[in-house]
Amino acid sequence: MSGALAERAFARKIEKMGFADVWIGERIPYGVERAALYPLFTPALIELMRELIPPDRQATVAVSIIAKARRP
Amino acid sequence: MTGEDLLFQSQIRQVVAEAYAGIDGGAGRPAAEQLYSEAELASLPPAAVDWALGVGNPPRHAGLQPGESVLDVGSGGGIDTILAAKAIGPTGRAVGIDLLDEMCGRARDHAREAGVDGWTEFLRGEMEQIPLPDETFDVVISNGVINLSPRKSRVLAEIRRVLKPGGRLCIADLTVNEELPPELKTSDAAWAG
Repeated sequence: MSGALAERAFARKIEKMGFADVWIGERIPYGVERAALYPLFTPALIELMRELIPPDRQATVAVSIIAKARRP
Repeated sequence: MTGEDLLFQSQIRQVVAEAYAGIDGGAGRPAAEQLYSEAELASLPPAAVDWALGVGNPPRHAGLQPGESVLDVGSGGGIDTILAAKAIGPTGRAVGIDLLDEMCGRARDHAREAGVDGWTEFLRGEMEQIPLPDETFDVVISNGVINLSPRKSRVLAEIRRVLKPGGRLCIADLTVNEELPPELKTSDAAWAG
C-alpha cells in the first residue's frame, strides 16, 4: 500500500506512458479491516495501521479503482 | 537516477518478493465475495478462490470478446486469467505472468480444473520486464500488483509494448489519496501489503 499513488497521479502516469482514453471508475473503499483479510498485510502491519491511522480514516485508508485505457 | 534510488528500488523489490514467496494462501472466499459474483465464483475451482489476492475484478470491466488474446500481469493463483479465458473462449489465448514459479504451477492446476488449460498458459516473469514479444495482446489486465512496483512507469511501458495498437488496458489497483503516516511510508511490510 505504501507504493500506491493518488488516483489523479496514477491516471496521469498512464497517460504519460502513451495511453489514450484513460478512464478511472468503480472506486471501492479499502480499509484496515479489509486489508486484514490479505496475508501480505502482516498482523504487525495491521496493528501499526490501527495505531497510526486516525479512526475516522481507517475504513477508507485506500481506494481500489478500475483504470481503463487504450494504446493508440 | 542516483545509486541510492537504485538501491531503494532494489530493496523494495526484494521485500515484496520475499513477502509474496512467504505466504501460504490468499485472502480467501470472504475477500473474493466482495469482488466477484456468485456465478463467477461458482465457475472457479475452490482452490483458486482461496488464493484470491486481488483488489478488483478487471475481467468484468475489460469488455473481453471471443477470440481475443489477453495477458494477466501478476496472475497469482489464476482467478482473473481463468475468468478471462472463459470470456474469450478456446479461439482466444490467455497468458498469466507471475513472479513465482510455484504460483504459476498453482495457477496451471487451477486452469486445468476449470477446463481452460487448452488456451491458457502461465509464465514466470516480472512486470517490469514482461517476457513476451511486442504487440502480442488485444487486452492486458492486472489486479492489485502495480502498486507493489517501485517502477510503475516501466511497468506501464512494458504493458504498452506488448499491447497491439488499439489494444486495451484494464487495471484494478489501490490508490491512496491522503498521505499515509511516515512510519507506514517507510515500513518494509507496508510496501509489500
